[in-house]
Amino acid sequence: MRAFAERLIAHETLRDNASGNKTPLAILVDDRLRPHLRTLMGNVGFRALLSRALALASAEVPWLRAVHVKADGALEGLDEFGAPVQPTALFEGSVVLLAQVLGLLVAFIGENMTLRLMREVWPKLTFSGLDLGAGDTDEKKQIVRLNANRQKKP
Amino acid sequence: MSRPARVKIRSLPTGVRGLDDILGGGIPEFSFNIIAGPPGSGKTTLAHQIVFANATPKKPALYFTVLGEPALKMLRYQQQYSFFDESKLGKAVRFINLSDVVLDKDLDAVLEEIIQQVTAIGPGVVVVDSFRTVVRKAVAGASELEMQSFIQRLAQFLTSWEATTFLVGEYVPEEMRDNPIFTVADGLFWLSQVPERNSVVRKLQIIKLRGQESVPGLHTVRISTSGLQAFSRTLGLTGQKIRPKRRHRLSIGIPELDTMMGGGILEGDSLLVAGPSGTGKSALATQFIAEGLRHGEPGIMAIFEERPKGYTDRAGDFGLNLKTPQEQGKLEVLYLRPLDLSVDETMQEILDAIERVGAKRLVIDSLLGFEMALAPGFRTDFRESLYRMIAALTGAGVTILSTVEVEDKFTEMSLSHYTISFLTDDIIRLRYVEIDSQLRKMMVVIKMRGGNHSKDIREYVITNKGVVVIHPRTTDYEGLTTGIPTRTGPRPAQKEEAAPEPKAKR
Repeated sequence: MRAFAERLIAHETLRDNASGNKTPLAILVDDRLRPHLRTLMGNVGFRALLSRALALASAEVPWLRAVHVKADGALEGLDEFGAPVQPTALFEGSVVLLAQVLGLLVAFIGENMTLRLMREVWPKLTFSGLDLGAGDTDEKKQIVRLNANRQKKP
Repeated sequence: MSRPARVKIRSLPTGVRGLDDILGGGIPEFSFNIIAGPPGSGKTTLAHQIVFANATPKKPALYFTVLGEPALKMLRYQQQYSFFDESKLGKAVRFINLSDVVLDKDLDAVLEEIIQQVTAIGPGVVVVDSFRTVVRKAVAGASELEMQSFIQRLAQFLTSWEATTFLVGEYVPEEMRDNPIFTVADGLFWLSQVPERNSVVRKLQIIKLRGQESVPGLHTVRISTSGLQAFSRTLGLTGQKIRPKRRHRLSIGIPELDTMMGGGILEGDSLLVAGPSGTGKSALATQFIAEGLRHGEPGIMAIFEERPKGYTDRAGDFGLNLKTPQEQGKLEVLYLRPLDLSVDETMQEILDAIERVGAKRLVIDSLLGFEMALAPGFRTDFRESLYRMIAALTGAGVTILSTVEVEDKFTEMSLSHYTISFLTDDIIRLRYVEIDSQLRKMMVVIKMRGGNHSKDIREYVITNKGVVVIHPRTTDYEGLTTGIPTRTGPRPAQKEEAAPEPKAKR
């Protein structure tokens, strides 16, 4: 699950490298998950799911404790904490949060249906399971490169 | 001058077994329908079945959820049903949550959102679940006229966009009079759960269906892992009867009894074997089935009082092998789940089994067990239901042997407490008779609708070969039918008795 989430976050990071204004976490929540999941479960349902995932993720990633889910389902607190948090930590926090969202979805509706939802969110990505194994090779290489670059940054 | 052709209304399948027949062919295309009923009656499951039966990527289904059951939970539970096809999600079946619009805005906004989605997607089927929630919100914030206008606009829009619509809601029958939704609706599907003593029976009524002749009345519904299944109250009364004109006589597996019956039981007849406990009704029924199997006639045994293994093992004690034909698919022993059945469900199970094995012979053992297996409410209609069931099964060309337990009275000989003997073509009565300080068994053929039969009262025993008729008619007694006959002939010398009927060995 973690590897799958990592792949999705890396994909977002690669895709939105040019814009650079939003954190991967903000992109993930505002632009990807929220529009799709809100259509299915409504704002209240999406907020509930994201809040639970955030609570679970905060236990593992302390800086996420400062982040909150707003009434419209967006995350707040990212601006204040986005800058001081190291890019690597920001990346890891996003991965953990997404993994928790995925974990909750799998618990509620099963792996197959979660995958279907994720395919709707990321229609251009190919995956056959909630792991990295099914990704295409070029993308994997890119993720490896990206991770290596992050490690080099202070 | 020829009249212009009338519009042909296409029917959509419901995906619910039995329901298309009840509806008179299916759901009229482009109709505007209500699925109503109390919580837990299967409304959402019915809506899902219709959706999955009809949705295609080209003509998708839009499922609007509103406040009621959270979407994730709905998907969590609905995916447990076999009809739930995950591969249809996303492209063919789309779930859209309207809760935010309903909560934050007014009816116009709700309609606008529906119009926007329907216009963009062009669905063939639209569901709003629960529409009741939309109405509740509307009643709180809008006038009755606004509500009526909303429903009218919604119905007109969805019909114009060639969508068949289902509004799901928790309504009570009293609301039908004043609620405008029931006036606008083309179809009204009413689901209910009726408690009867400790049993609960699910029922469905098609209160209204424009343009089509549906079957009136309450129909039984069962919800299983396959979803809803409906059992028409006229199941079996429709369809072609295939009873042959020239009918063969079938051996019952007891040569002496065949002779008593004028050569055997007529193909397609219904035979009732009545007698008290222990007189060999089940043994006789088993012999009837085994004889059919010997002649290449597959069979079904619907048993209610004993589990199939015990039944099969006991047949083995009589030297009758029921295991191999079951393995070969020539015999099915149906053990029907007791206590909350309807006759229609039982009939459907039996009809399905008959079709599966191509059965020619059927045993129902016993009618009393069958009655006990029914939910209490169905027991009051047992005779009528039985009449329908026997007519349907014999109409399908199947020869039926039913057993019924009767209490032996030693003043008279009753046939059965159901007074159902008029339902059967042939009757064999088994009973105990006290002779020489022994409780012996005798049988008599009471009735053979298709021809003449022996009037003899014959003694029989149950051995390790099953029921065996042992003696010719005796003229040494009179009053045998009372169970306490009077000897009129000479009394032979009595000797100490060896058991006249050794028990079958296990």
